[in-house]
Amino acid sequence: MQITLDVNGELHELFISAGRRLVDVLRDELELSGTKVGCGEGACGACAVLLDGRPVNSCLLLAAAAEGHAIVTIEGISHHGDTALQEAFVAEDALQCGFCTPGQVVSATALLARTPQPTRDQIHAAMAGNLCRCGAYPKIERAILRASGGGG
Amino acid sequence: MARLVKTQKEMEGRYEDVWVLVDEDDDLETWGADEDLAIVGRPAPRHDGSARAAGRARFTVDVRLAGMLHAAVLRSPVARGRVRSLQLDAARALPGVRAVLGPETKLSFTARAPVLASEALYAGQPLAAVAAETLEQALAALAALAPDIEVLPHIVDPQEALREQRFASDPTDEARGDAEAALAAADVRVELELETPDHLQTPLEPHAAVAVWEGDDLTAWVSTQGMFSARDELARSFGLRKDQVRVIAEYVGGGFGGKQGAAFAALVAAELARLTGRPVRLVNDRHAEQLDGGRRAATRQTMRLGARRDGTITAIEADAVVAVGEGGLAFPDGMLFPVLVPARTLYRCDDVHAMTFGVKTNLRAQNAFRAPGVMEGTAAFEQAIDELANALGLDPLELRRRNHVEVDQASGLPYSSKQLLACYDRAAELAGWDGREALRAPQPDGLLRGMGCATQIWWGGGGPPSHATIRLDADGQARLVTGIQDIGTGTLTAARIVAAEELGLSLDHVRVSGGDTAPNVYGPVAGGSQTTPSVLPAVRSAGAKVRKQLLQLAGDVFEIAAEDLEVRGGRIRSSDGGLDVDITEVTGKLGDATIDGSGSRGPNPDGFRVHTFGCQIAQVAVDAAVGEIRVERIVAVHDVGRIVNPLTASSQVEGGVLQGMAFALTEELVVDPTTGVPVNGHLDDYKLPTIADVPEIVVDFSHVPDANLPNLGSKGLGEPPIVPTAAAIANAFAHATGRRCRALPMTRDRVLEALA
Repeated sequence: MQITLDVNGELHELFISAGRRLVDVLRDELELSGTKVGCGEGACGACAVLLDGRPVNSCLLLAAAAEGHAIVTIEGISHHGDTALQEAFVAEDALQCGFCTPGQVVSATALLARTPQPTRDQIHAAMAGNLCRCGAYPKIERAILRASGGGG
Repeated sequence: MARLVKTQKEMEGRYEDVWVLVDEDDDLETWGADEDLAIVGRPAPRHDGSARAAGRARFTVDVRLAGMLHAAVLRSPVARGRVRSLQLDAARALPGVRAVLGPETKLSFTARAPVLASEALYAGQPLAAVAAETLEQALAALAALAPDIEVLPHIVDPQEALREQRFASDPTDEARGDAEAALAAADVRVELELETPDHLQTPLEPHAAVAVWEGDDLTAWVSTQGMFSARDELARSFGLRKDQVRVIAEYVGGGFGGKQGAAFAALVAAELARLTGRPVRLVNDRHAEQLDGGRRAATRQTMRLGARRDGTITAIEADAVVAVGEGGLAFPDGMLFPVLVPARTLYRCDDVHAMTFGVKTNLRAQNAFRAPGVMEGTAAFEQAIDELANALGLDPLELRRRNHVEVDQASGLPYSSKQLLACYDRAAELAGWDGREALRAPQPDGLLRGMGCATQIWWGGGGPPSHATIRLDADGQARLVTGIQDIGTGTLTAARIVAAEELGLSLDHVRVSGGDTAPNVYGPVAGGSQTTPSVLPAVRSAGAKVRKQLLQLAGDVFEIAAEDLEVRGGRIRSSDGGLDVDITEVTGKLGDATIDGSGSRGPNPDGFRVHTFGCQIAQVAVDAAVGEIRVERIVAVHDVGRIVNPLTASSQVEGGVLQGMAFALTEELVVDPTTGVPVNGHLDDYKLPTIADVPEIVVDFSHVPDANLPNLGSKGLGEPPIVPTAAAIANAFAHATGRRCRALPMTRDRVLEALA
């Protein structure tokens, strides 16, 4: 089928099979490999992207269902890593292997957009769907607080 | 002057004598505790942090090559079964399918065990592999294989395997003195039995490989902790020279011990690529990763301790049954990890008897998982030590202090450095150990509180061989090449720090690389806590050679003796203060030439055992109504010698603590005894901790460099922080409730059972 996706502010016309997941289209067709597949089952958050500003697991969304929505990937947040949040992730060492990091940044970006100065509880609630096996959690929390001007 | 010498090499407590190339010029005076260092020991963000935070880091799963095929693997759905038939030709006939391998296919490479099994020994074992133009076509080919499998009886219960005497290898039997007699004669005796679970590494990037041939040269991107062992394994398996194989592991999405060598993914991707003449990508899906990525083996341990009234430990009897599993390309068959090393060496005791029984069960063979053996052994032994303290009416930390040793109890050799007593003191101070009993008073929130400690021992001394090269250019920019694969530990950043320090440059004048075997600058597997202590001394040696040449050239330019010059902060100064210039005043005259230096890691000194130590103290709150244990705080104080980068070092500790906490509370592979098939091989049911589960974690270090280790005095930090966490939490639970769970993890049902 033919669809048009709005990804990072650009429109892409694509011919795909109806069953293609958004994450596969982003990674394989658009070569936006910053979005990762950790489980492919909606349980880890590594594939998080923004859909009209809300974080969603792109492994659980059919690409066709994303038509008509504004999709932002980690590359659209900043491929240079120069947002205040990304800089806070680096400064606080809120990453280890880095595989979950794009998803963490996407979810935290959405959190800060709707709650510019989150409490620790709000951070826990918003970020509990993003697993980090290396255990960077204490510093992810610090990085979000730092980027919100609330600590760090 | 380079020489070949025979020296002892250690990996996770296994010692072997090997020839190594050493250069006496590489042996520098170890930086002292009060050395005036500009960069080492100060927090520095990762050199590649921005690439990771921006999604630019390219992992193996991100590699896309022109004409690349996608592989998929058929895995056994049963714990044990014989493949009666596979419809290989039906799969081959499907659109887009370019290669199909089955159990009977003659492979062009050799391996230690059947790569594709005709008789599956565990659920998830590979039976067949296909390569197709798209992943969807590859998955369709798997469905067309229509396996007919005769189900055979299985054993997944380690106790049943023990009764059946299904030993994976000869039991280990290690004894000194007469433990039985000493136990009989002891004033006080305690016994503790504990089961520990199958524990999955669960890296978020699964095992993955992309392989491509150019003629007889093979290039493989591999998600591995050991790119050189992967290279050597591929070369050996395919009958190639090492220089014909290039392995790239620039970014690895976690490993925790489970990603060793080339493994199934790279061997099979390379074979499919050879057959098709196309690049081939093979990536485990999550379920395959949880079934076949590896595991820390379940154990059942029994500890019997005897002591005198004054707390002197007089007898230790320990045994462990380890469900090592069976089948697959895992560690050498039957190899046992050192589960009972804590029991044998943590405290002074002359009468010790330890036996380990590895039994074959129909689960994927165990492999390494962060502090393999020692972590689960500590979980049991350090709980027994607390039981002994309880029986003696002694403070648990005091009992540990009274049985402190400065000599390795297994070998009789002194430790190269041991700051454990200082770790106890510091941890007690940070945790408020003196106020521990007050925690047990009735609490306004109705929760039961307690505080417990545990001691950590691990190796982590590193050793040769490890190499590094540095090239300084006309712009005064240095390029450091290492054999490090930085799987998330920050070791490449630490290498950059050491290079900048020794070169006298600022950090932004040093680029560092690793994760590629092509330069053939060797580094060890990222395991055994050995990267920092092995590679960084070689980096410093390479830096010293470049600095020496730079100052000689500066002497030529400014007509000052090189001995009277120093370089620091990118400036060259004379000792009389008359000269103070940027290094480009010298390097700028190089034109297109460069100053090159290479360094190698020298041997550790004879006559010592090199170990890391530490103490963790946990505070927990127990909700007795629902059986929930909440960890409120973990204090972690470790002795790993000099800390190169406190920022990433604290990250290592936090990560280890969280994995240890989850081992204590939530993580367990659950196997259906009827089918022998794991029932929670996914991320929604295998319970990793989330950010909402994180306690306060307080991290500190002894900060005493090991003066007996070359150049830096640093030891490894990968393993130590995971070792004592589970025992500290279990001891805090026992302090709060007076009860113990007989098995980890301490889930609600087990807690309620313990409290009943």
